[in-house]
This record gives sequence, C-alpha cells and structure tokens, in this order.
Amino acid sequence: MRFFLLVLFLSVTALVPARAGELQDLLQIHAEEVAKPSRRSVGMLLDDLVASGLPQVPRFLERWAGREVWQGPEGAFVFAEEDGDSLILEDIDDGTTQTVPDDGYTQLRPNGGVRRVIGSALVQFQLADPEISRRMAAVESIARRPAADQLAPLLASIEDEPDPALKVRKTQLANFLTARFGETAEARIAAISSLSSDTSVEARSVLNQILSRDEGVAPSEPEGNIAQILDPMLAPAAYYAQLVDAGFAPMQTTPAMIRAALEANIDGGTVGGVPLAQLNTDAARERAYAALAREGLAPPLVIVETRDHALGAYVFYELYDEKDPAITDAAAAALASVESRVALEQAADLALDGLSLASIYFLAAIGLAITFGVMGVINMAHGEFIMMGAYTGYVVQLFIPDYTLSIIVALPLAFAVTFGAGVTMERLVIRHLYHRPLETLLATFGISIALQQLAKNIFGTQARPLTSPDWLDGAWVISDVIQISYIRIAIFVLALLFLALILCVLKRTRLGLEVRAVTQNPGMAASMGINPDRINMLTFGLGSGVAGIAGVAIGLYAKVTSEMGADYIVQSFMTVVVGGVGNVWGTLAGASMIGFLQKGIEWMNPSNTLAAQTYMILFIILFIQFRPKGIVALKGRAAAD
Amino acid sequence: MHKSFISQNPSVLWFLAALSLFTLTVVLLSEATGTAMISTSFVKTLGKTLCLCLVAIAMDVVWGYCGILSLGHFAFFGIGGYAIGMWLMYARTETIVLDSLSGQVIPPTPQEVSDAIGNQIFGVVGSSEFPLIWAFADSLFLQLLMVVLVPGLLALVFGWLAFRSRVTGVYLSILTQAMTLALSLYLFQNDSGLRGNNGLSGLQNIPGFEQTPQAIISIVFFVASAVALAAGYVFFAWVVSGKMGSVIKGIRDNEARVRFLGYHVETYKLFVFTITAVVSAIAGALYYPQAGIINPGEIAPIASIYLAVWVAIGGRGRLYGAAIGAVFVSLLSSWFTGGGAPDINLGFYTIQWTDWWLVLLGVSFVAVTLFFPKGIGGLFDYLVRKP
Repeated sequence: MRFFLLVLFLSVTALVPARAGELQDLLQIHAEEVAKPSRRSVGMLLDDLVASGLPQVPRFLERWAGREVWQGPEGAFVFAEEDGDSLILEDIDDGTTQTVPDDGYTQLRPNGGVRRVIGSALVQFQLADPEISRRMAAVESIARRPAADQLAPLLASIEDEPDPALKVRKTQLANFLTARFGETAEARIAAISSLSSDTSVEARSVLNQILSRDEGVAPSEPEGNIAQILDPMLAPAAYYAQLVDAGFAPMQTTPAMIRAALEANIDGGTVGGVPLAQLNTDAARERAYAALAREGLAPPLVIVETRDHALGAYVFYELYDEKDPAITDAAAAALASVESRVALEQAADLALDGLSLASIYFLAAIGLAITFGVMGVINMAHGEFIMMGAYTGYVVQLFIPDYTLSIIVALPLAFAVTFGAGVTMERLVIRHLYHRPLETLLATFGISIALQQLAKNIFGTQARPLTSPDWLDGAWVISDVIQISYIRIAIFVLALLFLALILCVLKRTRLGLEVRAVTQNPGMAASMGINPDRINMLTFGLGSGVAGIAGVAIGLYAKVTSEMGADYIVQSFMTVVVGGVGNVWGTLAGASMIGFLQKGIEWMNPSNTLAAQTYMILFIILFIQFRPKGIVALKGRAAAD
Repeated sequence: MHKSFISQNPSVLWFLAALSLFTLTVVLLSEATGTAMISTSFVKTLGKTLCLCLVAIAMDVVWGYCGILSLGHFAFFGIGGYAIGMWLMYARTETIVLDSLSGQVIPPTPQEVSDAIGNQIFGVVGSSEFPLIWAFADSLFLQLLMVVLVPGLLALVFGWLAFRSRVTGVYLSILTQAMTLALSLYLFQNDSGLRGNNGLSGLQNIPGFEQTPQAIISIVFFVASAVALAAGYVFFAWVVSGKMGSVIKGIRDNEARVRFLGYHVETYKLFVFTITAVVSAIAGALYYPQAGIINPGEIAPIASIYLAVWVAIGGRGRLYGAAIGAVFVSLLSSWFTGGGAPDINLGFYTIQWTDWWLVLLGVSFVAVTLFFPKGIGGLFDYLVRKP
C-alpha cells in the first residue's frame, strides 16, 4: 500500500513538472509583500501561494523563513548563499545555480511574527511530506506548541497518511486541537467528551488549558463564565494582599510597620503620647500608632477587624478564560472522570510499588525466617550476610566485566560464600548457645559489628556500585501513571522463585522433612536417627545462603555499603515476627503487609519517608499487641516455646 | 532471719567506698579545686562515664535480674537528655536574645522576644515557630519533671502493652528495638520540633552561670553524677534484695512458675521496666550537659545494644559488674578510637586501632558470651571463694 502511494506520488510529481518561471511570476505579482512582508497582510500572499498548488512552494517558504531569499537588482527573487563578497544564486523555479558579486542584491528579512505565519502555512506541506521523519517532526512540533490555525491542515492530512501509527497520532492530536480550538461548540464538546477516558498527561493538560482561569476581585459579582466564588476568610492575609494590589484597600499595618513608624516619631521620650517604656505590649503600640495616624504622621491603622470587614465587602472570584459555560462544564466533567481514572491507575501503581517492596522484604527476611523461625535462633548478623552477598557481587564484577555473566556467576557464588560463613558461625558460636536465646542475640550482634567493621576496613566507607545488566535498565511503562522498573520485576521474580524453592526444600525433600522434625521435637528426631547437629548446621547455612543471594538482588538497586545490612535487619525481624514465626507463608504475609503498609503510609505523606517508617513501626508494635504470634500462628505443640 | 540490708549486700559498702574515694581523688586533682593534674575535659569524660555506669546499672536490673533484654534503655537515656536540653537551650537563647534586644529604643513585646528565640533555635530547620512540645521549656522545674515523666509514661504504656499480651524473650527485645528505631527516626525529621539531626547544642553552657568557668561546672556535674550513681546503686540494690528481689529473679529464671505461685508477674515486670527507664533518663539528663550536644544519632538502636554489651562484659546479675563493664568498655573504647593505643606493625600490614577496635570489640564480645558468661564481675567470685 505504502509502495503504491509512493509510486502514485512520484508519478504525480512527474506529470506536473516545474515549468520555468511559474513561481517567480506569482511572486512578482506580490513583489512588494514578498520583499517587505507584514504579519497582518502576509496571509493573503500565502493563501495565493498555497492555492497555486506549485510543488516549489514549500521549499520557497522554508528558505524564505530561513532568510535565504534575496532580491536581485531587477527585482527577481532568488535563493542565495553568501560566500565571502559573492553570492551563490539558485533559481527559485528550476534550481540552476551561478555565482555573482553581491552588489545590488538585498536579503529578505521577514520578522519573527511573519516567520511564525509562514511556519504555520508550511505545516500543511510538512504534514504531507513524503519523508516520514519530517511528518513526525511536524506532528511533534504541533504537539509542543498547539495553535488554532494548525487544526485545519492537520485534519486535512489525516486522510492520506500512509503510516498507521502516525495516523493514530495525528487523529489524537487533531482531537486535542478540536477540543481547544474547534469551530463550533458542538464539535469542541464532542472532542472534550472523547477525552474523558484518556489518562495521558497530554490529554489532561488539554483539559486543564480549557479550564484555565484567572482570579480576580471586584466590588460586585462580575459578568462572564464564573468558575467559582471564593471565601476570603479561608486565607484572609493572602486575599487582603490581593485587595491591596487591586487598589481597593490600604496595606495592612504589620507589627514591623508599627514599630518602624513609632521609631521614626519619637518625641522626647514619648510616641503619640505614650511613654517609651510602656511600649512593650502590642496594645500600647497600637494605641500610640493610632495617635500618630490621627495626627497624619502615619498611614491609617488597619488591624485584623478592619481587614476582615474590608474582605467582606468584596467578591473574590475565579473566571474561566473560556466564555462558553457549556464547554467548561463538559471539560470539568471530562477532567473529573479522567482524574478518577488516574486515581485508579495510581492505586494500581502504588500496589505495584508495594508488591516490589514486599518482595525485597521477603528476600531479606526469608533467610531469617528459616534461622529464627525454624531453629528459634536469633541471628543479628543476618544483615551482614546480606552485605556479604552484595560485596561478593561487587568483587565478581571486578573480575568479570560482562554484567550479565557476572550476575549469573555472582548469585551462586554469593550463596556459597554466605553458606560457608553461616555454617562456620553455627559451628563456632551458635551451637554452644542453643539453650540461651538471648545470648545468641548478643553473640551474633558481636559478630555483626566485627563483620561490619571488617567490611569497612577492606572496602572502605564509600558506596560500591553493583551494576545491573543493560537488559534490566529502564522500566516497563504501562501508561503515563503506571510504570515499574525492570529491576524490581526481576526482584519480584526472584522472590517468587525463592518462595517456591524453599517450600519445595522444606516440604518435598528428605532434608526438609528432617528440618521439620528437628524443629518440632529435637529429642524425638534424634531417636529416629536424625542427626540434629547436622540438620541445624545445614539449616543455618541455607538461611545464610539465601541472605547472600538477597544481598546481590538488593545491591542491584541500592548502593553496596558496609552498613546496608543494618538497614534491613530491623525490617527483616519485623517481617518475621509480624508474619508468624516458623512458617514460610507467614513470612510472605508479613513481607506483603509491611511492604504495602509502608508504601501506603508514604503515599499519604509523600514528603516524609522518615515519618512513614516511624508510623509503620508504631503500627507493627501495636499489631503485635493484638496478634503476639503473628499473622500465621502455629498451633498445637509446635507453638510451645 | 531478718538481716540488715547492708549485711545482705556487702557489695554496696564496697561500691560506695570505692566511688567516694574515686570522686575525692578526682576533685582533688581537678583544675578547679585541686592540683590541676586532671584536665577539665577529662573530668567531663569521667563524669559522663559515671552517668553511663548509672544507665548500665539500670540495664542490669532490667536484664540481669528481671530477664528482660530491653534494647530501648538508651532511648530513655536520650529522652532525659532531650528534656533537660530543651530547657538549657531555651534559657540560654533567651538570655542572648534579651541582651541583643535591650539596646533598642522601643522595648520588645513578649511576642517579639519569643519570635526571636524561636528564630534562633529553629532557624537551622527553616522554622521559627515553637512546637507544642516546647510549651514548658521556659521552666526548669517543669522540664525536670519531664525528664522523669516522659520516659516513665512511655515505658509504662509500652511495657503495659507488651507484658499484657505476654510478649517475652527475643520478641520483646525486637519490639523494644523497634520502639528505639521509631523514636530515633522520628527525631531525625526536621519537623519533629527538636531540630532534626542537628539535635540540641550548646548544652554545656548553664544559664545563670555564664561567668562560671567550665572547670567548676565540670566538677559540679561530676560530683552530681557520682551522687546520682551512688543513690541509684543503693536504690537498685534495695530493689533487687528482699522479697521483691526474689520474685524479680524468679521471673528471670522461670516466669511461668512464678505466675503459678500467684504473683502478678506483669506488675513486677512493669515496675522494673518503668523504674529503670526513669533512672536511665535521669542519667541522660546528667550526661548531656557534660557532653554539650545531643542528636538523634545518640538514640539509634545500636546505642542500646552497646549498653547490653557493657552489661554483658561487666557481668550480669550483679550491679557492680554492670558499672565495671560500662567503665571498662567505654574508657577502653575512647582510648582505642581516640588514637591512644599504639598501632601494631605486622610487617605486611599495620593494624590501626581506630579501624580495628570494633572488630576486636565484636570478637571479644563473642568470646565473653561463650567462655565467660559471668563477665568481668565473675572474677570477684574467685577472689571471694578462695580463702
């Protein structure tokens, strides 16, 4: 189809060859206007040029606006390019070139206003240009600076647009333009109503521009399309300032003005009859100032009562720029409907954010849930295992420059490193403290500060980058409101994988069976031939290894520092405790709850993430009061301490 | 059967004697009242250490005796510091502002004075309004009351909620840590009304005593800290001895059994938790005028964990052990991190203690937990038992 159109186009241009002098003749008829165009009258000339249908016209208009058209000594117009003292001339009609001295030639310099008029006349040619990139550029330039006179050429060009995507875009843009500049009110209202399901930023800005309004103040209600009448008592100071600006009232007397006036009029130890020493209250100062004002030494005193009285005497209003109330009503209705859709999409976006935060918390906490939940052992160094995993990723990237490959290597390596660290720690320390849980907490805390400082000594205090592969850059954009970065999707997928993996290990393997047996009753498990020591060691290693992988994932979107583990440790404990100890599903529930809750609180108070965290922790403290065993509580003997 | 309090607790006499001797020595060697062999800044360090001993003793009572590993007592310490700091800062700024306004022809109105003070104090966080929590800042008496009331009420409400729903053991530790984290995050905000992460500063200048040299102020605070420590020691020794002490220790060893014996466990725990919180706050109120500055970083959860570290290293379940732990670790820490310890050259690598001190602390802490659960205080058992 496109090819066919192209052939058609070429054949048409071939059938109508540029006959010599045709445009030149036309220009000579309007010679005066071409040489010295004015913004108001150039329109007629342009109409004639466009009506002539000559193929040379667009090129002429472009170069005219670009100040590349000169007038020769005999009055003929030529394209010309300066080359030192001489000019390279090009014939307007047949394109033949020659070089001549510049004597007698004058450059045409249409002013900015004229160039804009030429530009909009050019748009219709550009919109139908055979080159798709030029058509696109023309469409985007209209989108950037919409104007009333672009509507007709845009509408005219839609029909013959060969590119389907561009055609859609043109139709959309034409709709926007119709909404703002359409000929009839009916056409505009129809266009406006069609925007009520469009949540793009562009559509919203079109509606907002139709609804643009001016504030004003007048002694009585004004004529026109009134948006709303404002209540000045909501912000008396600001509205009074408006009144003062409009010249309806004198400035309000501020304490600083009173003070300045008093200081300027000290008369032998008194001001306005009040002794200086008594001027340490506002009442005394106002009395003295009022006395000064009576003598004409200061502007009249305007205090709060005077101000409020003045405010009551005037009408404060907002007036739509658009005169037709039917149109503004339609736009307001459309905007309301758009905004409710936007609110829905924002809720969806918020839910996605919450989901991604929840998966991060899940990843950070699942290892802890295994060690703390299944074994009843508190591991304060869990955060440092996360850090260790992230640093492993960083070190791997030092050796393997390919980011995709390095991540693939880093994930199992991080698992191995932290698995080893976990097993070592279990063998050396935790094994001896199984019956003293509070002391495990303290001993692992000692390990945590030692590891943290060690990392600081090795890697320094500045943050180290863990770069994600290119294919994880960017975001999945669903609409102008909903978007989510690929890294977060990857973390979500990773969290799902881990959930499945850990459930599988615990429920479907021999190791999982033994772990569950040891969790429920170590003595009985031992008499069944299970070695609890070995199981504890492996469980601890598994939990630590998962923390290492979580570290790589977290390091991808946050910086790797020696303190990164400490940032997650409290949240991870909260997740495990809120979810319910000893249960993978509980951790999932806890992570979801905390993730969504935190995003929700941040949404209510977006300026202050610290406050969001504070409120969330307070909420968790309260939550634990009511469900001390967490969301998913174990029942029966396994729940006993 | 009825033995006197002192004969039951011989350690109290020993502790008081050692503390008096120490205080007397420092007073005699200080710049203001003696031979100037100890510099004013070191007197302040010693005074601060005494306050840390006091909070460590409180921690020992709640953890070592009652078995509640609270990771929030340093937060109460900080609240005490903030409460007294508000008065110190307000009163001092008021003096300065009144001084600067006194030169004007027209005397200032109370509103102007208050605005100027607000501007001085809250200028750094882009505000000049006095938040509601500063309502009592102009009164030393009320603010001193706040030192006791705010942490006391906080501990009471928090403890009531937690103990009522039988949150115990590790869960309670995590919960108290969460409380501490929430408090420090709140204080880090600029609109918390307490100057965000700038904290309160200039606390070493005591309003009304601008002309008194710091040497004298430091010795006064040192002696006050020593008196508070002595009083706190005697008070806690009394709390943990006698019948109540037995119940408290019983709760630590087997809470369920004490409950079955008919004691209202929650009340005892709540009492211990609250009273130790109040004493911690008093310690904080004495500490921060000597430190001169308080900011939210001081309250961060890590500080409360260090507190537990001191008590564990000093030896739990004995009050003097906590005091020894606090002195030992905090002085050692400032020796190591202050560059006092010589670097060790291993040939291929030089161990700089400013970098490696925390590693050493962490590792030795693990070692103490594993091998010396009784801490440094346990050494005294050998002394006593051997003839």
